[in-house]
Amino acid sequence: MSSLTYVRGYLVRLLIITGCLSALISWYFVSPQADTAFTELNIMNMNISLFTLFVGIITISARYIRTIKAREKYWPYQLYAMVLMILWVIMGTTVGLFSDFYQTAYLSTKITLHIAILGQIVFFMASGAYRVFRIRNLRTAIFAIGAATLCALNAPWIAIPFPQLDPFREWLLSHPGMAPGRGIMIAGAIGACALGIRVFLGLEKGALRVTEAA
Amino acid sequence: MVKVPELKSQYIWIVVLIAFVTTAVTPLGAPFKIFDTTQEVYNFVESLPKGSIVVMGGSTVFAFDLESSASMIACIKHMARKGLRLVNIPLGVESVQYQKYCTDAARVDQKYGGPWKYGVDYVQLPYIPGGDPALVQLLTDVRSAVSVDVYGTSLDQLPIMKDFRSYKNIALWTCPHWGITSIFRFVTGERGIATAHFAQAAAYTGSYGYRTVFPGLVYVTNGWIGGAGYEKLMGYAGVGTAANDGYALASALLLIFTVLGNVTMLSQMRKEEEKEKVEVK
Repeated sequence: MSSLTYVRGYLVRLLIITGCLSALISWYFVSPQADTAFTELNIMNMNISLFTLFVGIITISARYIRTIKAREKYWPYQLYAMVLMILWVIMGTTVGLFSDFYQTAYLSTKITLHIAILGQIVFFMASGAYRVFRIRNLRTAIFAIGAATLCALNAPWIAIPFPQLDPFREWLLSHPGMAPGRGIMIAGAIGACALGIRVFLGLEKGALRVTEAA
Repeated sequence: MVKVPELKSQYIWIVVLIAFVTTAVTPLGAPFKIFDTTQEVYNFVESLPKGSIVVMGGSTVFAFDLESSASMIACIKHMARKGLRLVNIPLGVESVQYQKYCTDAARVDQKYGGPWKYGVDYVQLPYIPGGDPALVQLLTDVRSAVSVDVYGTSLDQLPIMKDFRSYKNIALWTCPHWGITSIFRFVTGERGIATAHFAQAAAYTGSYGYRTVFPGLVYVTNGWIGGAGYEKLMGYAGVGTAANDGYALASALLLIFTVLGNVTMLSQMRKEEEKEKVEVK
């Protein structure tokens, strides 16, 4: 076994398992030492999370610079993005994130554009309702009637003249609406736990590039 | 039977656009109802003693959370009127800007003629990375997770932070963000702190069920319409009230197009059946 395989396959995995279990210390042990260990691990976790922001910038920059150098497709847009990112970082560090100037610049550009993107959804919802909610069989009937009923019961022009429908609306939300939602969450959580255990045990072959290194 | 032609998406979009532009230029002032859930949040804030510390905290993207701002802004106005104090805790990269937007829009700072003074009545903490473990750390011991405010001032120099050391000092956690599950889990579930989720309409159904999981501790408002209700309770018309016209119109258009789609489908089916009968004969 090469030293690289040993590090990737066993040492890193051991460190991850130890780290994850250590993070649970304060849940199971009541002692100042356990609290100190928990605090230290959390600070490390916060630092790692913060570092991922830099990883994102480094990754995007590396890719864009390569594309710009080779004059590949869309390189002018990527050049524009690179220049904007650098200017934005300079501006943020100069005037401060909580300044009115930064706030105005942020609201006038990124947020306005993002809201415009999200605002388009209502157009697609309208054309989607026209095409998708067509009752062809029992399943599509349940789908269409369920969606239309919730939409109608939440609409102000139904809720005001018919307040007696409120309990029905609440029942739809808290029972038929919530039950499958919880089912999906529980299934997802079990799946995440199973995947985590498989990764730690090395059963997921792609984990930590063990197979690649071997 | 007359065959109803299939509508191109572009025609539907034009109808929606005309409807929204018209109501933006000439507001309809469509009526709306104050839902019981909105009234419950209002009543809970009203019941808090003067000087209580309320947190605005959570994470996700600004543009998506904008829908929650209607309720949040009204609630901040409510807090200022009641003499409560506010600590803003951003757990996402855009949360600082979003929380500043809500606090500024409420016009509660003395620079806008309001009663609040920064550092005394409200404070903005910097972005706290790390997800759930960071949240737990902050709840356990605020100063072990963050030591300065967004300006870099030591927390010990801020009068409001002298009374805010751990979750035990929080009277209410308000979350005007999409990321609510962690708040319900660690703030409400594990520590018994009441949470008000100013949910987007899309998040409302998910949060609503937590009312039965933690009775008396979970409060939820429903998107723009919940915000409009809160504004009405506070006696002013803000972004929620302004958005209500669009909301009322959109819900009508969705139903109209749903019905129209089915009518189109039925007419086409009948037409094809008639055609098949003629061919058989």
